[in-house]
Amino acid sequence: MKSEFAFIALPISALVVPSAFAVRYLTVDQAQQAIFPGKSFTAAPVKLTSVQRKAIEQASGVRVLHDEQQVWRVSGGGWFIVDEVVGKHEFITYAAGLNPEGSVKQIEIMGYRETYGGQIRDQKWRAQFVGKTSKSTLKLDSDIKNISGATLSCRHITDGVKRLLAFYEIALRH
Amino acid sequence: MKFGLTLVAALLFAVSTSHGHEAIFSWTYTTDLTPKGHGEFEQWITTRWEKEHGSYSVIDFREEFEYGVTDNFQLAIYLNHHYVHANDDVPAEDPAHPGNRLRGAYETGGEDVHAGHNPATTFDSYHFESVSLEGIYRLLSPYKDPIGLALYFEPSVGDQETELEWKILLQKNWLEDRLVWALNVNYELEFEKEDGGGYERDGMFEWFTGLSYRFVRNWSAGLEFWNHHEFADATIHEHSAYFLGPTIHYGGERWWATLGFLHQLPIGEAFSHDNKEFAAHDGYIFGDEHEKYYVRFRMGINF
Repeated sequence: MKSEFAFIALPISALVVPSAFAVRYLTVDQAQQAIFPGKSFTAAPVKLTSVQRKAIEQASGVRVLHDEQQVWRVSGGGWFIVDEVVGKHEFITYAAGLNPEGSVKQIEIMGYRETYGGQIRDQKWRAQFVGKTSKSTLKLDSDIKNISGATLSCRHITDGVKRLLAFYEIALRH
Repeated sequence: MKFGLTLVAALLFAVSTSHGHEAIFSWTYTTDLTPKGHGEFEQWITTRWEKEHGSYSVIDFREEFEYGVTDNFQLAIYLNHHYVHANDDVPAEDPAHPGNRLRGAYETGGEDVHAGHNPATTFDSYHFESVSLEGIYRLLSPYKDPIGLALYFEPSVGDQETELEWKILLQKNWLEDRLVWALNVNYELEFEKEDGGGYERDGMFEWFTGLSYRFVRNWSAGLEFWNHHEFADATIHEHSAYFLGPTIHYGGERWWATLGFLHQLPIGEAFSHDNKEFAAHDGYIFGDEHEKYYVRFRMGINF
């Protein structure tokens, strides 16, 4: 039966391929200028305490994957946050701009590489988040429309924004 | 060596055309479907080997084209063909006591050995088996509903057998959809050509379940379990066989590949006299039903 084992090795070798990395559509600088044109930014990273982490998870109903959040303070008021959520195969990197009072100014997809669901980059879909606050429902098929064939990406971005708005309330607002 | 060449050629074909839907398991279906207006080509290669005695190995090939009719309804067509090598693999019947095995005597047989083949000689043949149509309709999505649910129907037509298969597909995700559990409950009716010229009707009830975790970007790994029940004439419970093994999956932007292994567990049970006599052996179910080892490689290209 030795001959049977030889051909098992071939498909295994076909599986060992270099991992593909997400396509970067926007750098941090580009995303900052897309959301807050002409403004200057001061890095203000936040490391969450376990109490803050639990409070965010409780308020948003979404698990916090990373204790460190990349945050920039925007000149003239507002916050710029870079975040990532789980995609079908890889992480989806996106940026959220928050107005001084904590509502969403704009969302930009910075890195994405999936078979389907690139429509989350469409301005019209992203525009649904504008004005949302931590008090918003932020639920797919409720106040955020789903894109057929891209449900996983839509749900994870929606959950991500919901988590960031809870993060604002708990870690940034005061 | 024809055996080896066919295999290498098929593998090269599969690898050379590979560059994207997504089967994270090798045997168990999830409720994920190809989105509306999109298509996918899949190449399946399944090898299964070892019975109670002699030599037996089969390589099953499947080329499948899937199309998303709507976001919740997918149609597929596929070609099934295989290469079979069998020699002295099934127990011979005692002519003095029909219905009982002749101890120590074996002949060439098995479900993939064609009706009419001389059981005293080796069977070594490539055979185009059947054409299948497959429809899957999703009722609930695991990304929006508490659990994913889909219904599956597949008719297959071939020169040696005709099959009808129904499945209920369930899927539950956890940990941001990185941990996936799936359960398939299947019923299959098979009409297999007999030596006398008629058709034998068999019924199969089986369930597959798998748990897979995406441990790093693009890669997931898990375990699959399969329990198969055979019913002669679709009414007489003949046996129950169990299988377990690991599966690994790579998913990229335009293509994916999955490799799985199943080992028959020595806890099988034969219920009918025929299966107790000809199929059961040391807790395994062989005869013309199952093999000890199964390896499946699947690769899909999305477009």
